[in-house]
Amino acid sequence: MPDQRYDVRPGTDAAMAGKQAECDGGGAIAGTRFAGRQEFTGTLTGEYVDHGEPPWRWYLLTDLTAKPEGYAEDTVWCEQGSLYVVDEGRSRA
Amino acid sequence: MTSDPLRTKLCDMLDIEYPIIAFTHCKDVVAAVVNAGGFAVLGEAMHSPDEIVADIKWIREKVGDKPYGIDLVLPSSVPPSDSLDKLKDDIPEEQRQFAERIIKEHDVPTPKAEVALHKWGGLNQDMARAQLDVVLEEKVPVFTSGLGNPAFILEAAHSRGIKVFGLVGRARQAKKELEAGIDAIIAQGTDAAGHTGPIGTFSLVPEVAAMAGDTPIIAAGGVTTGRHLAAAICLGAAGVWTGTLWLASRESDSDMIIKEKLLAATSDDTVYGRSVSGMPMRTLKCVWTDEWAKPDAPKTLPAPYQMLLSADYIQAANDHRREDLMFEAAGQGVGFVTEMKPARQIVFDLVEEALDVFDGITADADSAVPAGG
Repeated sequence: MPDQRYDVRPGTDAAMAGKQAECDGGGAIAGTRFAGRQEFTGTLTGEYVDHGEPPWRWYLLTDLTAKPEGYAEDTVWCEQGSLYVVDEGRSRA
Repeated sequence: MTSDPLRTKLCDMLDIEYPIIAFTHCKDVVAAVVNAGGFAVLGEAMHSPDEIVADIKWIREKVGDKPYGIDLVLPSSVPPSDSLDKLKDDIPEEQRQFAERIIKEHDVPTPKAEVALHKWGGLNQDMARAQLDVVLEEKVPVFTSGLGNPAFILEAAHSRGIKVFGLVGRARQAKKELEAGIDAIIAQGTDAAGHTGPIGTFSLVPEVAAMAGDTPIIAAGGVTTGRHLAAAICLGAAGVWTGTLWLASRESDSDMIIKEKLLAATSDDTVYGRSVSGMPMRTLKCVWTDEWAKPDAPKTLPAPYQMLLSADYIQAANDHRREDLMFEAAGQGVGFVTEMKPARQIVFDLVEEALDVFDGITADADSAVPAGG
């Protein structure tokens, strides 16, 4: 995750690893004054980064089973407050 | 019914006369609405921290101690790579050629200025974080998150006396923000301009209101008349969030071509699709959206690829003020925006019409004679 100005602290949350989750994602549309939403479903690895202070936590969602059509990546970073655990799954810890 | 149905808990919270929130990208609209007794929020998602500081100073000079808000877009998902060059290289040939065909067939000129997307440089969290720092340092009265859950910033904001509102498109988003202690929820239905969810305002607002307790709910999406305001109160909202309504106001800095398009538009003239950015959003129809909706068009790409395709078109249309190419985000209530009025007049018209509606309901109830009565 590229960041220039703010401290980014990686970590692992074993309790989240292996859980299936949905992400009500999205963001600003660069170069315009618009924004948009994107939805993902996948499995949490438990890896996270805390961005800046107060910490803004982002979890890594992998093995995506639902993602925007044409989304080329297999992973997405999802903000904690927009993440919904839908299945406790199996812990990878 | 209370003696003044428009005196809601949102009015009490913000110390405003009318439960009307204008969302706008124009400072002059903010000042006019706030000084007319409403509340206004300035969209600053694409402004630098220095620009936001300057805008806050300007607004304070115009409205004095009256409250106002600043809106930012907090990203809630970020792809693992965001090199602009790599992204451009990854655009499939079919979609690239289709975009080039639109440019050629519609004689879309070359942008005059550098394409905004290419110099913005921020597809990650840093921009939002730097903007948030300004909001906290300046202690703006209200911070609204136009997208993304602002829970992580609540404690820092509250400790500075800042109220935080979150805009949601689904009930579960509202539930999470309410549990975090948000000060108000803006429940935005699919009728709205720009990025919206798939759920209609009439369904979303009462669902969120039912779980909100004493926290004010603000109805958004398709609100352009006093009837909408009255209906929102009846649905359990404590106010309305309005955007399209102000784009064609006299104070608005929207291009006159856009204002004329808005004034002429009906609810049939908006489109909800992914051709602009790859993310679902509602805009006025235009050449670009029409072409991508045709049966022979390729599938739109996800963000950020689709926005890379549309960026040149958007910039060129605006730079050259091409009426046939220009468009704007607009909600389905645009059909009621038919006059270019001063923002102050728009506030008063909303209030007057809403009160007339409530008076009509009361009169009807009073005139109804109960059976055997």
